[in-house]
Amino acid sequence: MMKTDTVRTVAVLWALLVGAAAVQALSGQQRPPANAPAMSASTEAQAPIGKDSVKFLVIGDSGTGDKGQYDTAAQMWAAHAVFPYEFAIMLGDNLYGSERPQDYVTKFERPYKPMLDLNIPFYASLGNHDDPNQRFYKNFGMGGKRFYTYQRQDVRFFALDSNYMDKDQQRWLEDELSKSDAKWKIAYFHHPLYSSGAAHGSEVDLRSIVEPLFIKYNLQVVFAGHEHFYERIKPQKGIHYFTAGGSAKLRAGDIIGNTGLTEKGFDTEQSFMVVEIDGDVLRFQTISRHGKRVDSGEIRRTPNS
Amino acid sequence: MMKLQPASIALLPVLLLSGCGSADRSELTAAAESQPVVNAQEGAATLEFQKRIDAYLKIHNEAESKVPNLKKTDDPKEISDRERALGETIMTLRAGAQPGEIFAPEYQPYFIKIVQDDFKTRSAVDRKAIIVELPKNMKVDINTVYPTTLPLATFPPMLLRKLPDLPPELEYRLVGHSLILRDVKANLIVDVLRDVVATIPS
Repeated sequence: MMKTDTVRTVAVLWALLVGAAAVQALSGQQRPPANAPAMSASTEAQAPIGKDSVKFLVIGDSGTGDKGQYDTAAQMWAAHAVFPYEFAIMLGDNLYGSERPQDYVTKFERPYKPMLDLNIPFYASLGNHDDPNQRFYKNFGMGGKRFYTYQRQDVRFFALDSNYMDKDQQRWLEDELSKSDAKWKIAYFHHPLYSSGAAHGSEVDLRSIVEPLFIKYNLQVVFAGHEHFYERIKPQKGIHYFTAGGSAKLRAGDIIGNTGLTEKGFDTEQSFMVVEIDGDVLRFQTISRHGKRVDSGEIRRTPNS
Repeated sequence: MMKLQPASIALLPVLLLSGCGSADRSELTAAAESQPVVNAQEGAATLEFQKRIDAYLKIHNEAESKVPNLKKTDDPKEISDRERALGETIMTLRAGAQPGEIFAPEYQPYFIKIVQDDFKTRSAVDRKAIIVELPKNMKVDINTVYPTTLPLATFPPMLLRKLPDLPPELEYRLVGHSLILRDVKANLIVDVLRDVVATIPS
């Protein structure tokens, strides 16, 4: 593990370099506009509180290969200097458009190079733009599976394939949820069960199938993407829902204001999240493409959940 | 692969439901209510479909035996090379395959009815939400590669519950107005059932 000071120095250098590298690496329609704002390496991310907490990064709809992705990736790395997340979860649409070998480089390996160099593992879920064969790509951490589960300390993660919720996956999900005695159960997948997005909105069909299982087995938190913005939903039936599908794509102004679902919305810049689980407390921060902390808070696990 | 005998036709509703595993009671009830009533013709359609799926799997497995195994790799080229090799091998083995090879023509109305009945149960907003995400203006032909630059639209989970189960090698997808069978590992369109999905409701 790199020392913190070294990490911070590398973060700043990387943030400065990646902006220029991104411009050079891109071509055609992916090239950022000449008047694109300069990348800032400063971050408002705050250090985690827990000493031995579970710390992770949340990325959604990231695989564009454009300047928005590279700028946001640089901020993720800058945030790592103060909030040293140990792994990253990906909410799908990991690679937009073509999925040639070089696309894995320009849309994943290059923007997240500092994290990969530091052996920070990524655990991806599949979006509707992803070829399911991505599951065989080691750096996506899927172990060859479209849906899978893993645990960090007292936190059990369930990475689902919301594109194709067939009976096999439903059976598997119920089986794994029922077997888990982890304090925290967190699911993540591409399609949001609740959303105020004008372009997509809530995935009611999917919700009717998985939400009863989440409730029955006391799952506390869900992360989703698909909508290209950030939204924290008011708790629904005791479950906390986050949409964080704006880590490269952005659908500016897409959050409908009167759905009654939104606790906090942010749809004017790309963003990502850093999350810490410290005993019975989950703390989250949402950071924008330009390093602003646009949302933060904590969720306390109730004793019976 | 489970083989359904003719005597099993009467048990088809139970077999279809068995896929719901140990979902809670309300879920099972909802699923049961949403299952189509299976009559003899529908049972025959499912049996014939299963037989054709098994025949396709033989081809798929033969093709798999002819290309290198796909294991976890940090080289994306291995993934794309393998997908392409598997697809090309299957295309060769199925050269001359025609639409309806798996969706048998005489039983196509059964599948169309399942999809259309499902859409009728949905609100206009819900139907529109599904339809607007479907890839449009995409050339859909059997034994061809699904374009890697186009998204795979989410398949409505409640509709998936109503259709016959598929092995993991295959999946249903909606494209434009069509229901397709797609080979997951080879990224191939295996069969097409056209004019299944209506246009966006006004």
